[in-house]
Amino acid sequence: MGFNGVREWANAVDAGRVHLTTFRKTVASASTVANDFVDYTYFAGNPPANFYASAPLEAAQVESIRGIHLPDVDNQFIKSITAMSAAAGATNTTNQNQRHTLCDYLLYYPFVDTDAVGEQQDMIQTVSIPRYTSGQIMCVAQSASSAVGSFTVSYTNQDGVSGRTSQLTYTKVVSGGGTLVSSTTNAVSGSQPFLQLQAGDTEARSIESVTMVSAGGGLMALVIVKPLIHFVTTQECRRTTTGNLESYGAATYSESVIQRRPVEIKRGAVVGVVGLGNAGSLASSVLVGTLQTIWSN
Amino acid sequence: MGFTSTDDMILQMTSNGKADSHILQKTLVAAGVAGHWQHLLTSPGNIPAATFGGAELTFIPTDNTWSEGAIPIADQTSPATKHLTAAGASIIAAAGAPWFVQFVDLVGYAKATTTNVSTTGTKAITMTPIAATASNVDRYPNGEGLRLCVAAIAAMGANAPTMQINYLNQAGAAKATLAGCVSTASATNGTILNSGNAANKYGPFLPLAAGDTGVSDIVSLVWGGTAHASGSVAVLLCKPLGMPVPLPATGLFNVFDYVNTLPSMPRLKNGANLTALVYNTAATTSGGTFFASLDYAYGG
Repeated sequence: MGFNGVREWANAVDAGRVHLTTFRKTVASASTVANDFVDYTYFAGNPPANFYASAPLEAAQVESIRGIHLPDVDNQFIKSITAMSAAAGATNTTNQNQRHTLCDYLLYYPFVDTDAVGEQQDMIQTVSIPRYTSGQIMCVAQSASSAVGSFTVSYTNQDGVSGRTSQLTYTKVVSGGGTLVSSTTNAVSGSQPFLQLQAGDTEARSIESVTMVSAGGGLMALVIVKPLIHFVTTQECRRTTTGNLESYGAATYSESVIQRRPVEIKRGAVVGVVGLGNAGSLASSVLVGTLQTIWSN
Repeated sequence: MGFTSTDDMILQMTSNGKADSHILQKTLVAAGVAGHWQHLLTSPGNIPAATFGGAELTFIPTDNTWSEGAIPIADQTSPATKHLTAAGASIIAAAGAPWFVQFVDLVGYAKATTTNVSTTGTKAITMTPIAATASNVDRYPNGEGLRLCVAAIAAMGANAPTMQINYLNQAGAAKATLAGCVSTASATNGTILNSGNAANKYGPFLPLAAGDTGVSDIVSLVWGGTAHASGSVAVLLCKPLGMPVPLPATGLFNVFDYVNTLPSMPRLKNGANLTALVYNTAATTSGGTFFASLDYAYGG
């Protein structure tokens, strides 16, 4: 159960039912494209990089060590998030203005070959979705990709109905792994973090197969996540090194109850961040933040 | 007691003078390590650098009369409870931004030096468990809400052993911090060794066993793997106070309003020994300047 009121929420901290952790992720040096989403879990830092490296097409759960560390308790809620984005260099400004979504990473199917046109790539259901009954599907590049491909995904929806087919989705040309390659459904421009499902469906429980309609020239992982909360970073943090030495930067802070709704993080959650920058490449920039959680008795 | 209402808080602060402010200033003793938390205890300033006196592997309680320096906080016997109403911080350093600053009440420490750092194995720590008396060391009854970290109090030598702390939790049960946490090789003086930017690094505090909400006794520090070639550490027993203050850029002074958070107004217990931990996103320049302001008020 959650909290019975303001008193219980406020008392949790004094009672020691609170956890503070930092996260620091450095986007890889390969250029990313403005308005492309990136999966920050894919990049180095703390927690360590999550490359979705397991048996191809076989359902797997992300190792807990790849997620932002959280205590192993029930009835845990986000108390606050603070975030800043450090520029790759003293003159870099392309990592400003990012939107972020904190997600619980539930299940993934790695190494989908985006060149296998016409071939149905069947997934192997070795494990089922944990913690929730369904989630949203992300398509995360696991390599550079050279072409704009297109594909559909066959999946089981939130109600357990199998054989559902996603909208035709375009992939992207990317310089390296970590970018979400799912584009809009009617063009290669634009981005969407999650796959557009068959009409009437809201989430997916598992993925049965992928069919490439045109070749994308790379590899991708299909990842089912549960979006938890959105936040932003605005101005990049940096200091000039020539001329008039000037410092730039901004922090964003959100606190549950007062500013945001309290969001539960399920026991065992593997929590990471999906982001999008609209000012240019995020390469070598650093996302740093604190996540504070509290839990009830 | 504290304040009966917001009106009472205003009355106490404006009519009765039950409010005060303090500044903490430090000159960073060494470069901060990227992705690591850093304590300021060994950095000179006002208050001065601590030397961590006392016997080896023995818990030394600290309060705001600590002989090595502490921020003075009003009447320590008053039944009126004191509360932080705002706190701000600033760092002036050519590199290292952005930072976070977490204020903590340092309840005590146990230091380990020489062969207690340069050899692996279990280093037993002598400590009288925290109880629920009126004594300053028991200001968090049975250690409720207390957290642990392992701090470098001198430059560390090569190698990064694993570290684990055996402790008694708030109920007196024997527990251990998360296994597998690794230290940082060749860390600078001031580094929180359990934090960092890699796998098996956790900051600012070592994760307690599942469900634990506090620490009443530090039983031992266990080093594994290959020992640090040299160095000195202190196991710090802290109570985090309030939200971390983010500092996006050098020279920026950022103030956090602790009245309008929830829970609001972190309590300064009688005897509170206020200090701060700093998170370095990049490597912070040695000799950088740290400032913090702390506003508190009390009623009753």
